[in-house]
Amino acid sequence: MLRFLVRRSLGALVILVIVSMVTYALFFAIPADPARLYCGKTCSPENLALIKHAMGFDQSTPVQYWHWLSGIFTGQIIDGKNCAAPCFGYSFAKQEMVGGILLDRFPTTLSLTIGSAIIFLIFGIGTGMLAAHKQGKAVDKIASSASLLASSMQIYVAGPLALWALVYSTDLMKQPAYVPFTEDPIGSITGMLVPWIVLSLIWTANYTRMTRSSMVEQLSEDYVRTARAKGMSGSSVFLRYAWRGAMGTIVTVFGIDLGVLLGGAIITETTFSLHGLGELAIHSFRDSDLSLLVGVTMVAATLIVAFNIVVDAAYALIDPRIRLA
Amino acid sequence: MSSRNMRLAAAILVAGALTVTTACSSGHSNSDSASASKSPVAATAISVGTAADSKGPAVAEPGAKKGGTVNMIDRDDFSHLDPAQVYMNYNSEVSLLFTRQLTGYKYSADGSSQKLVGDLATDTGTTTDGGKTWKFTLKDGVKWQDGTPITSGDVKYSIERTYASFIKSGPTYIQSWISGDKYRDAYPGPMGGQELGAIATPDDKTVVITFADVHPDANFTLAMTGYGIVPKAHDTKEEYDKKPFSSGPYQIVEHVTDKSLDLERNPNWDPATDPIRNAYPDKWHMEFGVQAQQSTERFMADNGPDKTAFSFHNQVHTTYIDQVKADEKLKPRTLQGLTPYVDYYYINNTRIKDQKVREALIRAFPHQQTRQLQGGTSYGDYATSYMSPTVLGYEANDLYDVLKKPEGDPEAAKKLLTEANAVGQTIVYAYNNTPVQQKVTEAIRDALEKAGFKFVPKPLDSKTYYDQTGLVNNEYDLYWGGWGADWPTGYTSIQPVWDGRTIADGASNYAHFNDPEINTAIDAAAKIADPIAQGKAWAAIDKQLQQKAASIPDVYQRSISLYGSGLGGVKFDSLFGLQFPLNIYVK
Amino acid sequence: MTTQAKPEEASPAGSGGSAPFLSVRDLSVRFSTEDGVVRAVDNLSFDVAPGTTLGIVGESGSGKSVTNLAVLGLHNPERTEISGSIKLDGRELVGASNRELEQLRGKTMSMIFQDPLTALSPFHTIGKQIGETYRKHTGASKKEARDRAIEMLTKVGIPQPTTRVDDYPHQFSGGMRQRAMIAMSLVCDPKLVIADEPTTALDVTVQAQILDLLKDLQQEMGTAIILITHDLGVVARTAQNIMVMYAGRAIERGTVREVLKTPQHPYTWGLLSSMPSLTGDVNVPLTPVRGTPPSLINLPTGCPFNPRCDFREQVIGGGCTSERPALSPETGHAAACHLKAAQRQDIFIDQIKPRLG
Repeated sequence: MLRFLVRRSLGALVILVIVSMVTYALFFAIPADPARLYCGKTCSPENLALIKHAMGFDQSTPVQYWHWLSGIFTGQIIDGKNCAAPCFGYSFAKQEMVGGILLDRFPTTLSLTIGSAIIFLIFGIGTGMLAAHKQGKAVDKIASSASLLASSMQIYVAGPLALWALVYSTDLMKQPAYVPFTEDPIGSITGMLVPWIVLSLIWTANYTRMTRSSMVEQLSEDYVRTARAKGMSGSSVFLRYAWRGAMGTIVTVFGIDLGVLLGGAIITETTFSLHGLGELAIHSFRDSDLSLLVGVTMVAATLIVAFNIVVDAAYALIDPRIRLA
Repeated sequence: MSSRNMRLAAAILVAGALTVTTACSSGHSNSDSASASKSPVAATAISVGTAADSKGPAVAEPGAKKGGTVNMIDRDDFSHLDPAQVYMNYNSEVSLLFTRQLTGYKYSADGSSQKLVGDLATDTGTTTDGGKTWKFTLKDGVKWQDGTPITSGDVKYSIERTYASFIKSGPTYIQSWISGDKYRDAYPGPMGGQELGAIATPDDKTVVITFADVHPDANFTLAMTGYGIVPKAHDTKEEYDKKPFSSGPYQIVEHVTDKSLDLERNPNWDPATDPIRNAYPDKWHMEFGVQAQQSTERFMADNGPDKTAFSFHNQVHTTYIDQVKADEKLKPRTLQGLTPYVDYYYINNTRIKDQKVREALIRAFPHQQTRQLQGGTSYGDYATSYMSPTVLGYEANDLYDVLKKPEGDPEAAKKLLTEANAVGQTIVYAYNNTPVQQKVTEAIRDALEKAGFKFVPKPLDSKTYYDQTGLVNNEYDLYWGGWGADWPTGYTSIQPVWDGRTIADGASNYAHFNDPEINTAIDAAAKIADPIAQGKAWAAIDKQLQQKAASIPDVYQRSISLYGSGLGGVKFDSLFGLQFPLNIYVK
Repeated sequence: MTTQAKPEEASPAGSGGSAPFLSVRDLSVRFSTEDGVVRAVDNLSFDVAPGTTLGIVGESGSGKSVTNLAVLGLHNPERTEISGSIKLDGRELVGASNRELEQLRGKTMSMIFQDPLTALSPFHTIGKQIGETYRKHTGASKKEARDRAIEMLTKVGIPQPTTRVDDYPHQFSGGMRQRAMIAMSLVCDPKLVIADEPTTALDVTVQAQILDLLKDLQQEMGTAIILITHDLGVVARTAQNIMVMYAGRAIERGTVREVLKTPQHPYTWGLLSSMPSLTGDVNVPLTPVRGTPPSLINLPTGCPFNPRCDFREQVIGGGCTSERPALSPETGHAAACHLKAAQRQDIFIDQIKPRLG
């Protein structure tokens, strides 16, 4: 296991370096000139040169990339401002250090993602198992059709609807906002309730269907029949055998879905006016804000790579047939 | 709208929402929202006020009372709050609450017109040499938020620091009028202890600014937020942009970038010194990240804290425009009005030299169809001039019968083409490759082909649209663009766009129009000291430009927005095209 | 629930040592499917005595596996209709509650499945899977269960059982897995073991080892075994009694010797002819039973074997397509065929036996 973690972590580093290089390369492939964006209305060539120099755009792309990469380990001075290691650069559009911005925004996205993931895992898996247990009965049919309906919903439709119904027109719930748990434990939950509900509603549906189908599949496996032939009780067959088998599929899909959720933060955060990484991604693209764009991309890439390692490790714990090396 | 900032606007359009328009002037007018969309555009009522007009307090809003918290919801945080960095309209609008300039704009009692008045200065400035030397005297009792008096030294320092290298955006008129285009080489800013000799402070109350040439409307220029004051003792340089020190009625409690901005009363602001600002609410709470669709829905629902909310910039989302207009209940809290922006379809004068062909293009252009595709009457009013109706001196001249035949006149156009012996002439039309613009392009194709042109559409990427159309040797004949004045006189409406001597890659003269007669007229108009006479001169140039068929004016852009039912005194600021904060009160 | 319990007087307690341990009477199993009702088992009766082995032989779909799943109560109660009687040590299993069956499964009766790779849980160690059964039925501690598992692994001949007990099934070879499977089914000393094709998935040398193992354990513990197979060779080697099934019914029954030496039913003849023999003439081609097994939803009228039977013209009165023959006589070597006993003897001696060699 340790060897696996070390090997995969090294691999992840390589992937991250490649991701950052590609982001740099793609950014400079777009002909838009960010320096001119900041230059204002009466942009004299002198002003433009000044800005280009401050932003480092007067250097070649590889040199800029090298400054960025080495800055992570050694820190750097950008436009007269000291950026201590690990330095992720300076956002000229936001006039703040990228590291600070990311640190500020990350908890929002994390709360959004993890909070709704907990809800949809509990309800999705619960309902799915119930449906699998009561296969063919009313509960199963209701759960299946409800989840089909819910999973065909989209966040940009369901979100505004929920906001209208729960917040705007009735004032039943709070306008979505992230509050740190340490500042206000109750507020940190109530503030995120509407996005959590909407996100988990859609995802619960997926997990209900997935859990049901993999449980049904597992229940027809030979070894489940063996367990019953040994005299194992219904609940133990269901949980210790069938669920154990279904867990592998669910964990794998969940690993992928965490990435999807993270990517979906762009839409989710826009829908709910939340200030997380998704919103940053939009801003950084809109403002051609290279340092921020790279920063957001790297955080997202790091998370996705980390999720993958965790999922692979978890999968190996669940299924002893998978060897980690 | 200026080219640089249009670029930003274009980038924002890519992100898929409303345009952030840049503004360019300060000032405010209360436009008649009830019938403005149908009636012909009324000429603006902007004028220069007297010393008496410059005395505080501001004209009170009928029925207004003090107290309460006003909420503001908008899509984007203010990109700059350091006055020297401010160019965009919504940055200027919020700056009214905590930044003062030498001059500013004051509403008339009925709210229908506004005057340039002294803000910190006792009047709008005096000049004895036609606008080369300007003298301002500061009022008594003007103070910073810490209670120290605002002095002429503060004004001098504020202008000096616009030279500093960390000031990367914001207007550069005053700097280049004093020190030439390469003004940073002439003076490095006050950080090293050097002073700018062109600004003299004979005493604590007097500021004398000397330009290299005459600039009779420099008192309008100094009304720009960009020339607002910054205290030397509290200048945090780059950091100042996040949390400026207040000279106005409110001071910043907390500013969390991209999330919120909270303001409370500045106890050291004296309303008796301020002819412009009312300060009814005790607090302002501003929130960012709210998309236009969300803010529209929130205003329509009008619940909880949204009852006392308004929005500087977010307009009614396009999907709700018809619904909002039809809803009688929303009418009392719907604001409509003209923005300072005019849409043009630029004709590339280096490629189309024959004036008759240009006239044919103007005659053939389907304004009605293109406007309908972009939002109909809410999008704007048909333009019959290059200057916006919000500019001093504006005159309408419907030389090409746009109001009579907004759908275009293919017969008249064909006749002109035949006269020019140019039937079948190819028109390469460059457009921003978005779904709406694709439809607009088809409408233009129909109209131009009916008139006898050969039409070649050329889609351009949104991010580089302005870079490509901004090239002097671009290979397009016709392309859309817009413009808004920096301050409401003809100078910034006309000169940057139509002065033939400014033609360069990336400059604002997109049409590459270069007419010696016009160039001379621009120079002459810019030197006329009397504002009314100057306005007339600009209007005459505007008319001449139309006669020479420089390009195709399309529409004067309109705005429609909502606010919460718990607020009174919310007005539309037509010089910025935004909601105006200074008369707002909590009911 | 559509399972019907056939009301029947309970057998007197302690009704005797000589009585069969498992007694199945008039067992019918029907599944309802979208295409119609499948009559998987039809009026089947058989007995298994302690310490003996009954071989049940037949093609796929003949009902042999279904019969045994019904005995263990592993059928899907939602879609299965069972009638008749299954008595285990005098206790009626048809209509018994799930709880009762759970108590019996693994303890009194257990099952060995065909493919130990899929039949063993890949997620649990061999030791856990064996010990779990033991704990469930005896209430033993984890430690005791583990010791018992090691003991059982030793018994079935797994080398180094103290370490292998913590291995997962995928770490075992095919034959070892089947040994582990056997260890698991015998961990509670059941009185009845049902082995469903226990050697089909294994290669021939391992097959013999496993069969010998089963035989040894049976002798040691006195277990009754039902051996389900399609391989008459396996039966010959292991069982005392044989029941040949076709289309959900027994069509021939008797001791191994009776059925293999003097088979009475044309289908049994077919089975025997399709089996290679070491002593037979290599030049005589193997003749599999022609045709395909009948659909259990839509059985042929009369004798279900008649469309595949080469001898139906010889039946006097041609009852093969109209009347279903009963298994007769009631006891001993019996067959369900319209051919007269003498006819069968003649046909076997003249036509079949030479082919078998």
